Amino acid sequence: MTSPSLTLISTSTLISQGAEAKVYKAHLTADPSDAPILLKHRFRKGYRHPTLDGSITRTRVAGEARALLKCLRSGVNVPGVRMVDASEGILGIEWIDGQSVRKLLPGGAGEDDEEQEEDDQIDLLQEYDISVEILMQLIGQEIAKMHLADVIHGDLTTSNMMLRHPSTFKSCHATLRTELVLIDFGLSYHSSLVEDKAVDLYVLERAFTSTHPDAEPLFASAMQAYEQRMGKEWAAIGRRLDDVRLRGRKRSMVG
Amino acid sequence: MPGRVRETPLKNPDRPYLAIGLEGSANKFGAGVIKHFVDGSTAVLSNVRHTYITPPGEGFQPRFTALHHREWALKIINDCLAEVGVSMHDVDCICYTKGPGMGAPLQSVALVARTLSLLFDKPLVGVNHCVGHIEMGREITGAQNPVVLYVSGGNTQVIAYSRQCYRIFGETLDIAIGNCLDRFARVINLSNDPAPGYNIEQEAKKGKRLLPIPYTTKGMDVSFSGILTSVEGYTFDKRFRADGQPQNPNDEDIITPADLCFSLQETIYAMLVEITERAMAHIGSKEVLIVGGVGSNLRLQEMMGIMAEERGGKVFAMDERYCIDNGIMIAHAGLLSFRMGFDTPLLKSTCTQRFRTDEVHISWRA
Repeated sequence: MTSPSLTLISTSTLISQGAEAKVYKAHLTADPSDAPILLKHRFRKGYRHPTLDGSITRTRVAGEARALLKCLRSGVNVPGVRMVDASEGILGIEWIDGQSVRKLLPGGAGEDDEEQEEDDQIDLLQEYDISVEILMQLIGQEIAKMHLADVIHGDLTTSNMMLRHPSTFKSCHATLRTELVLIDFGLSYHSSLVEDKAVDLYVLERAFTSTHPDAEPLFASAMQAYEQRMGKEWAAIGRRLDDVRLRGRKRSMVG
Repeated sequence: MPGRVRETPLKNPDRPYLAIGLEGSANKFGAGVIKHFVDGSTAVLSNVRHTYITPPGEGFQPRFTALHHREWALKIINDCLAEVGVSMHDVDCICYTKGPGMGAPLQSVALVARTLSLLFDKPLVGVNHCVGHIEMGREITGAQNPVVLYVSGGNTQVIAYSRQCYRIFGETLDIAIGNCLDRFARVINLSNDPAPGYNIEQEAKKGKRLLPIPYTTKGMDVSFSGILTSVEGYTFDKRFRADGQPQNPNDEDIITPADLCFSLQETIYAMLVEITERAMAHIGSKEVLIVGGVGSNLRLQEMMGIMAEERGGKVFAMDERYCIDNGIMIAHAGLLSFRMGFDTPLLKSTCTQRFRTDEVHISWRA
């Protein structure tokens, strides 16, 4: 017999296949006007040994739900949790109507058509009524809030951040019509260590430089916002971040 | 990235070009001759290699490896040229590995390259070893713009091309995967002939029991040193039987070397496939290319194939001739940059142990 959560998946529409999960749009009730939810199915990976796969999937689904709840309690903008089925590898979360941050930054949409792409970017920024500088600040602030709650994301990239669409989001902010939401907590964990927070930032820095080649100075402004929000905790993290940057292999050791 | 292919800056050559490549960054000395034709096609004319093999339980040390290279260099270069039937006078440039790799072996090879360059008055081209692997992989498999998994004894990187640079998306935070395998082979006393990794692969086929080993992916990065310690730890477990045989008929709960090889392979390859998949999802590519010595492992290729299939993509892999370090890849990558007008003046013909893949300007790609 198939489990209820698998039945739910069979009635929902596939949105995309991410790095390790298939993402569906589903309705928990029969009423179509009801808010949809997003189902994240970590399906069985054929390449992984079944035992290994099972334990990895279970820990990740449970861990993701736990991290989301912790963030929600601490006021970090993340999608709300709707359902969890760890043994099937299914997590149901709030449906967020909006756009991935990656698409709003230069270089993010791939390299097929650069001019076209730049136009799209500017259109998107206008649609969300936000400047790149403000966007960077939001990124820094949101990550800081998360780190103050001792949650480590583990996979911070611009693909894992979304902006809520102004048309469906009621902002309580005077000038800002959108909100930055952190998503995909599949690799997250709980830690209060300076080391883990610094590595988390380093992952983001690397993602920035590898996806948005010209956006390197932008990362600096995100870090500035992070620094402000973290207050006195920043000093230790910043120092550790400098150490972390020196890791990795075969770097030239000059200077 | 799939889609429109931009015009390549590399023009078809006005005449056929011939290059010899010398490689010796680790325990293999290789020489190869490649020819680039006027129509843009290429041909591998010869590919000769000799491996320095140490007894079981021992790794190769820089000093003795360098000695090996010095002893074999001339014979291999001569064999390589004789196979093609050309003399050193006919080649357009001499390509050598500038780095990364072990210092002493790199120096011996650079010295040979410099000497040949002076003797025959040929330009030198210093090549980044990793770029050599990638370019050779693209040439042999015909992959257009793949996500590259570069796995060998000294390197573990997930690479994607972007704006004339091979950017590193994820890499190992400590030791390379091949290093982890080699060192584990030493722990259980497996032979180094033809390669420790190959023997682990064969041994793993007999393994049945999957033992819990740390699964250490961190975002797009991986770490292997803790895994090595953990598998080594099992050899001190009281259930471990070094000969792989139960002590008596009731001795059922045992761990054999084969089980350890099996568990190690399953775990670390799953980690590699996972970070490769992450990179593919991140940049939206459907092609994977596996290069480097560990890339000749069939289990890794199989797992990567399953992953690619699940994503509707394709995996490109090669056999040991081109996966494992060879001279031809240095010749190929060197000739590509030579055709773009690059050469290494004698005064700058140094070598370096630290030379990252992303430091190289890939002038020949759009």
